[in-house]
Amino acid sequence: MKERKKKNERETMSFKFSKIRTLETGYNSGPWNMALDEVLMNCINYHSMPILRIYGWRPPTVSIGYFQSMDEEVDIKRCRQMGFDVVRRITGGGAVLHESELTFSFITNVYPKNIMESYNLICDPVVICINKLGFNSKFVPLNDIIVDGKKVSGNAQTRKKGILLQHGTILLNVNLEKMFSVLKVPSEKVKDKMIDDAKERVMGLNKPFDEVAYNLKESFSDKFGAEIVVDNLTTKEEECTKKLTEEKYTSDKWNLKR
Amino acid sequence: MKEAHNIYKSKKLVKISLEYDEDSKIINSITITGDFFLYPEETLDELEVNLIGTKLGKDEIKQKIEKCLNDSEAFGFDSESLTDAILGCLKEN
Repeated sequence: MKERKKKNERETMSFKFSKIRTLETGYNSGPWNMALDEVLMNCINYHSMPILRIYGWRPPTVSIGYFQSMDEEVDIKRCRQMGFDVVRRITGGGAVLHESELTFSFITNVYPKNIMESYNLICDPVVICINKLGFNSKFVPLNDIIVDGKKVSGNAQTRKKGILLQHGTILLNVNLEKMFSVLKVPSEKVKDKMIDDAKERVMGLNKPFDEVAYNLKESFSDKFGAEIVVDNLTTKEEECTKKLTEEKYTSDKWNLKR
Repeated sequence: MKEAHNIYKSKKLVKISLEYDEDSKIINSITITGDFFLYPEETLDELEVNLIGTKLGKDEIKQKIEKCLNDSEAFGFDSESLTDAILGCLKEN
């Protein structure tokens, strides 16, 4: 076990990039955000540098995991009433209300083939970032980062055609009452219990978005020995994102797939 | 045809919606949902298709799952727990 841990550490440490293309795409709708992640994944090629994207959500959005049923997990009517978007991700995992958080995506064609190791590798700069902000965080496999036993970051990955996409949240503030008001729960009684349980398991960093973003860029740079290359979306990327938003991520065919 | 559902807590939540023939116990359709991870993701669609026509017996189901998951990696369930999740539909009814 010790040997394996050491091997993982050696392997994750050995990944270096000379440059990381960094995109700060601001606050956008749920479907647009998910479309852009897919577009960036499709645009990257063998010669590309990896991409770090930092973003937020406006309006707030409930995203569900690729394998989840929208109807079973989300009170869509309530979301509409509250002006929230709903969207299915291309990654697995659970339903999330994206509101007061910083979300990042990391897209690369160079990564450990072992799934656990690749989560570890990409979560590492997130841990460094959170620790720079004054917390004592650690990575908990498969995909969480915790502070004092409470989750502050959840992550999800997919791999397609040799490209890895990991998107993750860094929670800034948590409003569990609001979250459970848009997720389907068995009963009101159970809902209260779930909120109480979640309060014990989840917390926000209570830091400004820009401060977290600054530290996250620095941490990715430190971790991978890479120069941060601040960039904008190309016209082609913007056009593809618009098209994919309209054709896929706002469609019932995709969002209600399961 | 009979419809059945089961929610199974493995390492993650696995939810099964099943339609099967009550006499022969043959699966007519199945949907597997949940907050798990499966790489590659398309494996789940293949598994659902492959389970159609399978008898709801432990060996038959587990064998199909193992064959489908052979080249994939699942986090949140394994072939044993997914088999239990599917067969749990029979207990619910």
